[in-house]
Amino acid sequence: MKFSKLIFFVLSMGILSSLALVYFYTMQRDFTRNHREFLLCINELKNKQASLSYSILQDSLFTYSNQDRISHEREALLQSYKTLSNSLLLKEDTYAPVLKDLRTLKVLIDENIENIEEYLMLNAAVKNSLIFLTRHVEIATLFEKEDLMLYIQANKILKQFNNTLSMQDLDYISGKDLLLRSDSANDDVQNFIKNFNMHSSYLLQKYPHFLHTTKLILENTINNSINKTGDYFSELALNDFKALDLFAVVLFALFIISTLLIIILLLKYFKENKKLTETTKSLEYSISHDHLTDLSNRKAFVDDIKMLQNPHLLIINIDGFKNINDIYGNSIGNSLLRALAEFLKAKMLHITKSKVYRIGGDEFGILFDTIDEEKALEIARKLEKEIALHDFIIQNLEIHIIVSISSNNIAPILENADLALKLIKKDLTNRVIQYKDELNLKKSVKQNLKTIQIVKNALNEDRVVPYFQPIVNLQTLKIEKYEALVRIKLPGGTVLSPYLFLDTSKQTSYYYDLTKIMIEKTIQTAKKFPNYRFSINISMIDILNQEITQALFEQFNKNFSIASRIDIEILESEHIKEISEVQEFIKKLHSYGSKVLIDDFGSGYSNFSYFADLDIDIIKIDGSIIQEITTNERKHHMLKSIYKFSKGMGLLNIAEFVETREMAILLKEIGVEYAQGYYFGHPQEEPLKDDTVSL
Amino acid sequence: MNKLLWILACITFIYAGEPISPIPLHHGADIKKAKLGKELFFDTILSKDNTISCLSCHDLSNGGSDSRTVSSGFSGREGNIQSLTVFNAKYNFKQFWNGRAANLLEQAKEPLNNPAEHNMNPQALEEKLNNSSYYKSRFKKVYSIDTIAYAYILDAIVEFEKALTTPNSKFDKYLREEEELSEEEKEGYTLFKQNGCITCHNGINIGGNSFQKMGTFLEYKSQQEYPDRYDVTGKKAHRNVFKVPTLRNIALTAPYFHDGSAKNLQEAVKSMSQYNLGLILSDEETKKIVSFLNTLTGEMPKILEP
Repeated sequence: MKFSKLIFFVLSMGILSSLALVYFYTMQRDFTRNHREFLLCINELKNKQASLSYSILQDSLFTYSNQDRISHEREALLQSYKTLSNSLLLKEDTYAPVLKDLRTLKVLIDENIENIEEYLMLNAAVKNSLIFLTRHVEIATLFEKEDLMLYIQANKILKQFNNTLSMQDLDYISGKDLLLRSDSANDDVQNFIKNFNMHSSYLLQKYPHFLHTTKLILENTINNSINKTGDYFSELALNDFKALDLFAVVLFALFIISTLLIIILLLKYFKENKKLTETTKSLEYSISHDHLTDLSNRKAFVDDIKMLQNPHLLIINIDGFKNINDIYGNSIGNSLLRALAEFLKAKMLHITKSKVYRIGGDEFGILFDTIDEEKALEIARKLEKEIALHDFIIQNLEIHIIVSISSNNIAPILENADLALKLIKKDLTNRVIQYKDELNLKKSVKQNLKTIQIVKNALNEDRVVPYFQPIVNLQTLKIEKYEALVRIKLPGGTVLSPYLFLDTSKQTSYYYDLTKIMIEKTIQTAKKFPNYRFSINISMIDILNQEITQALFEQFNKNFSIASRIDIEILESEHIKEISEVQEFIKKLHSYGSKVLIDDFGSGYSNFSYFADLDIDIIKIDGSIIQEITTNERKHHMLKSIYKFSKGMGLLNIAEFVETREMAILLKEIGVEYAQGYYFGHPQEEPLKDDTVSL
Repeated sequence: MNKLLWILACITFIYAGEPISPIPLHHGADIKKAKLGKELFFDTILSKDNTISCLSCHDLSNGGSDSRTVSSGFSGREGNIQSLTVFNAKYNFKQFWNGRAANLLEQAKEPLNNPAEHNMNPQALEEKLNNSSYYKSRFKKVYSIDTIAYAYILDAIVEFEKALTTPNSKFDKYLREEEELSEEEKEGYTLFKQNGCITCHNGINIGGNSFQKMGTFLEYKSQQEYPDRYDVTGKKAHRNVFKVPTLRNIALTAPYFHDGSAKNLQEAVKSMSQYNLGLILSDEETKKIVSFLNTLTGEMPKILEP
């Protein structure tokens, strides 16, 4: 389950259980209240019934009493029945059967009330006659004189009646002769007997009914019925209570589940959070640390340096680390880097406010905050010496390294230290340098950038052009061909010579663009000047570059008729290993009728072995020889030797840097076929119409 | 349950004193409502032809009942039984001679709707009173209602009747030990108990808490038939059974019995003894009992004071 879904689920559960709780609370509150009220009513009804019965009992025993109580209690009973039957609980279907019981109860109550009315009438009748008899006997004055027996008899009968009443037992009178008799001739006696017997027989007649009615009232029928109703109700209510219990259990379960879910959520949250924190920490660590050496990395360095008020940096670079990698392999190289890192850290441990970084591949930095320049330099020198003397044991190999250290505290700290380091790399005598603005290192960088920008703009704006310098046949004194030399025209009209931009642009891809444009534009010029041959400069390395060779041959194919008039001057730079590729190239050139020149022969890397392997047509003798042929005997001899060698090899010679008539005459005397130089003409935008020169 | 009975027994023995209890000094009725009820009670507006008021048959200056044998109602039509007193009527367990009304409210409805009495009906009553700006404002004042409804009319009358109690009779004062009875009166009360009158005439109203047969001992024959308990229960045994009337203010409410056959107290006491107690009272005993009965006349209800 998704996290958000889980939260939603838990939330719904929470709300649901809260609602259920509220519902449960109100339901159980109402139910318990109604239930309690109903049972209270039942009890009330029982009490009322009991007091009513009691009042009747009392009333039946007393000769007379205040019967208001009976009517009050009767009303109270009816009222309490009404309250009971109006109980809210009975409106529910569950308790409908109780209503039936209640109706039965009501019939009993009504019957009872009728019985009480009956009782009250019988009671009046019975009690009145009893009172009468009592008083009748009491006030009679005749017994003493007449008949003591009669008096005793009357009292006996009276006692029977009274016993019957107080015992509520008919046995005292039933089947007994309870009438007075006398033979007395006394009218008073007879009258007494008559009245006595009248009430006595009335009592005999009324007593059974009276006692029966009293018993009916005092029977527990109603009480039993009320109990039955109460029990029945409780039985029904039990189901409701069970339902409530079940509900409570469900609610509790819901609560437990919710709680568990919340706990799970919290645990999950904490776990995720922990993971996240760990990830963040390791990310932060890996962002700011080099994983090979565990040192802080260049980014950390850039961040840290911003925090420092007076940063001072030492850059430590391993001299010839590339060679170590080449010799021992990357694995040992890496181990060496690690070992050096440990070494530097150990050395810096006791120097406060210092921190070691790995700034680049084999470049380490030590950053100080506020340190004396001399002190820093001293540390650098000490470090350099210690590293040089230290035996780095890597996989049982003892490796010795030499490092260059530049020290700098002038912003931009890293750049300046780098420049100083580059400078010191060229100087094999000194391995520690302090950067100073006076070193003017920045300028050349700036100049380079400016040059690159100029080249770039010139390419974009088509301001790269070939200038053509005439090459003269010394025998005929006719211009036979032109050498195309690259120039950049600045927007102001100034024309830049290649030495101002060519070396710098060789470090960039713009160089190829320059070459291609030269090929293209020279061919265009060659089209316009069908009487001349043209030569284009290409370095030995260019030949190995597919892009350039393809571009060249594409142009040749496009201008097939012109290709035979285009010669290639190959500038030897360093030793060429892939000689076969060069041979291939030359072969292809020859197939177009193109000629191949070796440029600047007699200087730098000049190697006679070329002539054994390469099918070269012309040798251009280097200006450093030509310039001194009139003044320097040795150069004169070198020229003659080259000429003799060329003759022997069947090669032609071109002498460059021919600046005086004297030089031209000497060259002609020796037999050199061609010459070029200021004496014959400066490089210009277009070849001359007139091909004749004078000596 | 037994325990409860035992407790009840204790309580009742404590209070088992005199079978007659005095009328409370304060009736406890709502005076404002009772005063409105009084106006209604006195007003013939409650009858169809504006001739009959409640007062017509319940003469409040004459014991609260009618001195005529039977009352004369709407268009002079006669009632069928002696009019009962309204004084202390609230202490009766049932209303009317045969107890067909359970309380004052039920009772009040009957004469109002009886064609032979007020000859009204609830709608007519409401209409008539609502047409009276006087009553409208009175009801508004007392009940805060804008339209007078039947229930409010009855309520006011009932409240008035509840205020019609007559406390402080000489006998009540005797019961409260505030005043002594004369020798004759005391002897009368003793005879009243000794002869069994008390078995039916007991309680606060000295009667009014049970139904008894007129002629329990000897059959009592009336000149005509009266609406008796039989009319309510349909039981033959309930022929000639009536609610025991109150003996409060008995001296003021002649004639006596449901049929008004006894014109004075002596006659009534003698008749009652004969028919219901099977006892012939001597003149002297009768005199004593009557003098006891005379102590039952209470003070006129305060609400009747103008």
